[in-house]
Amino acid sequence: MTLTSRSLWRQPWYFWLALLPLTLVVLPLIYIFYRASLLGLDAVINEIFRSRNLELLTNTLTLAVGVTLLSLVFGLFVAWCVERTNLPWRKFWRIGAGLPLVVPAFVASYAWASISVSFQNMAGAILVLALAKFPLVYLPVAAALRNTDPAFEDVSRSLGQGPWRTFYSALLPQLLPALGGGAILVATHMFAEFGALALLGVQTFTTAIFESYELQFNSSAAAMQSLVLLIMCLPVIWLEMRIRGQRRIARVGKGSARQANRINLGWYNLPVLAGFVLLATLALGVPFFMLGYWLLTGASAGVGYEKLWPAIQGSLSLAGMGAIFTSLMAVPLVLLAVKQRGRLALWAERLPYLIHSLPGVVIALALVFLVIRLLPWVYQSTLVILAAYAILFLPLAQSSIRASLELVPTNLENIARSLGKKPFYVFISIVLPNIAPGLGAALALMMLEMVRELTATLMLAPTGTLTLATQVWSYTSDGEFAAAAPFAALLVLVSILPVWIFTQRMLRTQ
Amino acid sequence: MPNQPINSNRRNFLRSTALLGGGLALGLPSFAPSALAKNQSLILYSGQHEKTTTALVEAFTQATGIKVRVRAGNSIQLANQIIEEGRRSPADVFYSEESPPVAALSERNLLTPLQPETLENIRPIYKAQDGTWTGITARCRVTVYNTKLIAKEELPESVMDMATEKWQGKLAFVPTSGAFQQQIVAINHLKGRDAALNWLKGLKEYGRIYNSNMAAARAVERGEIATALVNNYYWYVIAKEKGMANMQSQIHYSGAQDPGALITVSAAGVLKTAKNAAAAQQLVNYMTSLEGQKVLAARVAEWPMNPQVKSSFDIPPFEQLNPPEVNPANLGGADEALQLRREAGLA
Repeated sequence: MTLTSRSLWRQPWYFWLALLPLTLVVLPLIYIFYRASLLGLDAVINEIFRSRNLELLTNTLTLAVGVTLLSLVFGLFVAWCVERTNLPWRKFWRIGAGLPLVVPAFVASYAWASISVSFQNMAGAILVLALAKFPLVYLPVAAALRNTDPAFEDVSRSLGQGPWRTFYSALLPQLLPALGGGAILVATHMFAEFGALALLGVQTFTTAIFESYELQFNSSAAAMQSLVLLIMCLPVIWLEMRIRGQRRIARVGKGSARQANRINLGWYNLPVLAGFVLLATLALGVPFFMLGYWLLTGASAGVGYEKLWPAIQGSLSLAGMGAIFTSLMAVPLVLLAVKQRGRLALWAERLPYLIHSLPGVVIALALVFLVIRLLPWVYQSTLVILAAYAILFLPLAQSSIRASLELVPTNLENIARSLGKKPFYVFISIVLPNIAPGLGAALALMMLEMVRELTATLMLAPTGTLTLATQVWSYTSDGEFAAAAPFAALLVLVSILPVWIFTQRMLRTQ
Repeated sequence: MPNQPINSNRRNFLRSTALLGGGLALGLPSFAPSALAKNQSLILYSGQHEKTTTALVEAFTQATGIKVRVRAGNSIQLANQIIEEGRRSPADVFYSEESPPVAALSERNLLTPLQPETLENIRPIYKAQDGTWTGITARCRVTVYNTKLIAKEELPESVMDMATEKWQGKLAFVPTSGAFQQQIVAINHLKGRDAALNWLKGLKEYGRIYNSNMAAARAVERGEIATALVNNYYWYVIAKEKGMANMQSQIHYSGAQDPGALITVSAAGVLKTAKNAAAAQQLVNYMTSLEGQKVLAARVAEWPMNPQVKSSFDIPPFEQLNPPEVNPANLGGADEALQLRREAGLA
């Protein structure tokens, strides 16, 4: 894409709108480069070649790779059993497998950390976080499994390939985009995860960034570490783009694909069911038990009930507005990448994923620093917290919207255009209704994450704003777990609706 | 691929938008930018426990008629936020759970000296030398021990003796906590650099790392580990939640000017850029006054730093503590602490 002034004028409407989210996600980069540049070359070299960095690097990569792989295993196993076998109570499992998303990671981590110190290490962290995040892989893979054409597998089997070979060579390639999309979300989440890791005792670059702020009040050192995090994230994004970009799997021929035959598990039903029950107990039972225990014991029970309603109100309004705002930002970005497919457009669409690997504290402080200097009159107004949510969660909206946008047949648009309709009109009347399910999924997933967001909310929301997450934080940091429990339970309750919508949408579309 | 009929998609979309819109409507009043708030009131950035701050601020408003808007957060993050806000910070007063975040602001020249009357209210030593901040309440480093796992007699007089093989797997510590940094600095100050480094190396070898003081104190209470180096009030927080009579763990005070008995303080200061400087000074003055300190003493198991006020909790009198002679104002040196931790392989 060369941008001469003439070609610039010919850019479609979404090109201009995409500049807004791009500006937003560039803000943290500006802040990081500025802060890191204050360090001076010697300090930068010192910081990069510290022996501890090797340890942090190993830890961060082990965690990200471990959690991603385990989530892929859980997600693929559950999705395949639910969509391709005659497992009993499939309908229940289909929706239920999305449910671990309702439990905030810090509740799960707290529950596990208090069961035994033996979970407070790398292996424990990988298990706990994979249990919390595998639905991000399960949902797109289950949806993809529904829509794959079994004819590919039939051909493979008829050529004499065994079931494993068929799975590997005929089915897996069709699932790769879904697996890759889920994996990139899980991996970038892991780069940025802090709260859960602090509880589970694993040190990564993100915990080191917090430490730089906490012990030295040194934002330049933190900026350096953020840069390292960004560099680590680049290959993940590049890999995912390769997986997505190169493969094109399409059916040739008319009509729709038939439903795949379900495999009869027979006696294997028992171990598989046992596996499902075990997974449900670990992913949901443990944190729910912990919440119940908090609710029922402790002297601080019943404290702060008068704040329940304001906190619900605060959470829902901020998350609701944030979800809508972020979706509006995401649509033009996705259109740019899907319709133009230029290298620049592709990287522009992936930039938010890169920023997704940064911890919330960096993004929040970047906005503090820039907004108070450039737009002081909006500082600590709702607008700034919405911008922070958009920067933090754009990729979640992009993934869902992109998945449905790629399925809108170009023919429809061409016909409308040939009838003389303007591009924006075509978008509103043809494209938007078709990507509505994707938008619904995006809104739900973002609400879910925004309801839990803490760091940016504390720094940027209007002074005095209460949310469920800030109340849970406030009471648990005072050790009043019983007082925190109703807020944590409500956080789970308000998450059920978005998770249900998200699960439904994900499984129905594509 | 099968596409859903467009109408049903649209209906679903409308339905989920309506659900979200409902939530949205609930909170529209909150859209007013805080910078445009009409009545001039103080803005307090507070990292102190929420209930304590609320009680204090309500009493202050009742006494003076001055309204205070509280921005609650984690002390360290609030300090970082004020540093990034720079001269435009909306904060008038900063109240921190521990002294290093306030000291960090003072080092960056962001605080203004407090009124002499305010500083006079507070015990000597526990305030900044340049008068830019003051301690409000104090707590003590202690060893919390599980009475089933270890007898009181086995606990040494000095924490310096706990970084040895004898304590293999029996000692919890939190190398990343603020108070632990202050303890490292104090040891460095009192016993010299080699002693501090050896102590850290010993802890790394024989102790067990926890990620928060609360987690360490709870682990002792649960019987997961025999002892932990924490602040005294964590034990009281657990005791309050569980009931004093049910406690499996107890507090051991080191005393005898041992670094294990280090006193650390919560602290407050007034921003140089405070828009309402007089009222801001008044608030910090109130925090150190008889009335203000009484409000605090009734709510946290810490020693009020105004010597005329006694704690309502069952804690030994401040005069009995016999802490090491270190000024909390000198405990800020996080760089030195970090350097030592890095050399000991703990950072």
